[in-house]
Amino acid sequence: MLFDPNFIARLIPALIEGAEVTVELAVLTFGICLVWGFIVALANSSHGPLAWIAGGYIQAVRNTPLLIQMYIVYFGFSMIGFGLSGFGSGLLALCIQNGGYMAEIYRGGLQSVSQRQYEAGRALGMRRLALYRIVIIPQVVARIIPPMTNQAISIIKDTSQVAAIAVMDVMKVAQVWVESSANTYDVFLGVAIIYLVLTSVATLIGRLFERRLAFAS
Amino acid sequence: MKEFAPLLNGWWYLLRGAGMTLLMAGAAIVPATILGVLLALAQVFGNRAARSVVVFYLFVIRGIPLLVLLTFTYYLLPLTGIDLPPFWGVVVVLALYYAAFMSEVFRAGILSLPRGQWDAARSLGMTRRQMLRIVIFPQALRLASPPFVSLCANLVKATSLVSVVGLWELTMASREIVERTLAPFQIFLGAAVIYFCICYTLALYGRYLEGRVLHGH
Repeated sequence: MLFDPNFIARLIPALIEGAEVTVELAVLTFGICLVWGFIVALANSSHGPLAWIAGGYIQAVRNTPLLIQMYIVYFGFSMIGFGLSGFGSGLLALCIQNGGYMAEIYRGGLQSVSQRQYEAGRALGMRRLALYRIVIIPQVVARIIPPMTNQAISIIKDTSQVAAIAVMDVMKVAQVWVESSANTYDVFLGVAIIYLVLTSVATLIGRLFERRLAFAS
Repeated sequence: MKEFAPLLNGWWYLLRGAGMTLLMAGAAIVPATILGVLLALAQVFGNRAARSVVVFYLFVIRGIPLLVLLTFTYYLLPLTGIDLPPFWGVVVVLALYYAAFMSEVFRAGILSLPRGQWDAARSLGMTRRQMLRIVIFPQALRLASPPFVSLCANLVKATSLVSVVGLWELTMASREIVERTLAPFQIFLGAAVIYFCICYTLALYGRYLEGRVLHGH
């Protein structure tokens, strides 16, 4: 039966429990990758072998599917004696992939600040630290917020792939409920609404930051 | 090298899977591009009703993971009574999903043309149709080609998700070999290398196109 109130009353708490796992994964991934991506971007902008390694890493993770990366971490690592739980594997794979994407966002942000800004800062007698803190970083931050918001949305959606390695996120919960009941439409609507709410919240937070940190340019 | 024997034995099977991946991606890219262009046109030139339909479509697609759409198509299609082979089912979902992202790319291409191009075309006495066909489209498509190519690479990666709903392609092929050989690390790494070869080639082509866009021809 479509929109069976009894069914929906039982479905909603289950989906919300799954959504908690989804949010946890997404927030952890985003937070870790903000730092990890920055480290990779710094390494990539240096000279020598470190830059090569960082560049190779970025290309490798950007050009292979997340699902395969998850399988390598989840099934592969346990074969070589480095087993992780489903949650741990999912989180690690999400961080490995999104670290590469975020490094590229940082790089784009740094490159978008023109050389004249550095020169102007130096002409005002700023030291390196002051130059970065007062002139460069604020501009970079303002410019990377829109792509970072997009990345956050894509992370939220990507977390659904942990369902493939048996983590009980909202996607997996939905799958279990569909298979054990006949109310496919209800479950689909529920899970779609949850993802739409989560991605909309991410968009709104991004807009808020954008408005606060915007420059008149 | 004994550890890599399973990969050496299974490489032909993996390559056949990769062929299927490419076929699936190719079959989805064509309708996705056509629909993407139509959506972009509707959003730029359409009336208010058309625009709000497109905006709603983009909101929904951008907010829901592809895996959710694929999974529920798998469950819902039999219920709706539409008799579609699974291959075409996932091709339709991939096309509908990527059309949303393609439309953004084409829309950006159209909107990023300088105002002067429109004014010049109008001052030559061109009709709206001529203006679009002779002046706007050729330039907009050229501007849109690099991000279009990187979207195609994304689509190739996204086809890995259809293995979750039981379709056979590269990821499914590698899972089958893993089940027989119990060598997940080697096999999934091999699959990752094949994906990398496909997607990195596309990325390099995109970069080449970008260079051409930046430097005139």
